Amino acid sequence: MNRFLRIVTVILVALTMLVGIGIYQSMAGSAEGKGIFASKKCGDCHLMAGPNTDKTFADKLNRKGPDLWFAGSKFKKDWLEGWLKNPKPIRQMEYNSIEKKNSGNHSKLSDKEAGDVTAYLMTLKSKDVAEGVVKEGPNIQGKIAFEKKQGCYGCHPVTKAGKVVGGLSGPSFVDAGKRLQGDWIYAYLKNPKSLIPVKRMPTYAGILNDADMKNVAQYVTTFK
Amino acid sequence: MEMIKRITFTILTALFVTIFIGINQAFAVNAEENYKWYCSQCHGLTGKGDGINATKDQPVNPRNHTDTKEMAKLSASDVENVIRDGGAATSKSTMMPPFGKTMTDAEIKELVAYLSKLCNCKFK
Repeated sequence: MNRFLRIVTVILVALTMLVGIGIYQSMAGSAEGKGIFASKKCGDCHLMAGPNTDKTFADKLNRKGPDLWFAGSKFKKDWLEGWLKNPKPIRQMEYNSIEKKNSGNHSKLSDKEAGDVTAYLMTLKSKDVAEGVVKEGPNIQGKIAFEKKQGCYGCHPVTKAGKVVGGLSGPSFVDAGKRLQGDWIYAYLKNPKSLIPVKRMPTYAGILNDADMKNVAQYVTTFK
Repeated sequence: MEMIKRITFTILTALFVTIFIGINQAFAVNAEENYKWYCSQCHGLTGKGDGINATKDQPVNPRNHTDTKEMAKLSASDVENVIRDGGAATSKSTMMPPFGKTMTDAEIKELVAYLSKLCNCKFK
């Protein structure tokens, strides 16, 4: 019995240590990431404390980069870490512009920095993005809403028959399934003002029904 | 004393009216601003149908709003409906999105008038 107790104690201690180290590491990464973010002045272009209170087109035009106060609700962790190491334009046009090409000069982070900044950004969540609502995987109703009922690729580049087609004013959907969480897409479609109050994209809430907004969100996550 | 009261009242009223007009103007968006913010993405900043979304792979070309002859074939209600409910509502391409939940009815009506200026034509 004594031996049994000793084994259980050893296992419990080992488990506690492992969990403790895990929590410490994730917290350390996040805290370091926050420090890196501040030292590189990323907050000069990205809004980090939400919600966004923009009211006019001019308010929006004063912003230099996309909001990140909900980054942990929006992005997929692996994609974000990879992108920070090797940033490529997501939107072909410069932020907020419909005239100037994106020069693709976003600063690049080292492997360690990208890991820490990702850990930090993934802690930033919006209460308006409910988790676990949108499933992953093919969704034919979503495809119909995306391509036939609405012309989403009129603004968002997509891959069709191996070729990138579509408009250029919206962010690219070519690898949106690697980049975006389905729950974010649905939350944005359902209540855009709570996340991005001023935008060039039309509001689809009240045009697409709730089921179709979920279907579209799920369909977009298949773009990989 | 009575006169001072009257002057103060007049000044205060004028101030309130000025502030109210100011606030109203700050939030009201005119048709040209809406056009340049939303429509120009496909139809171009000057309405020639040459916005950045008018890529060669699109299934349809955005309409040239400065084409007097073509635009004059439309009725004002056609134009209003297509802005509000999108291309599908008027048997046109679904590539034209619906803006009925984005702009108010009044803004859409003002946009119809702005389009009439752009095409230099009168809608039926």
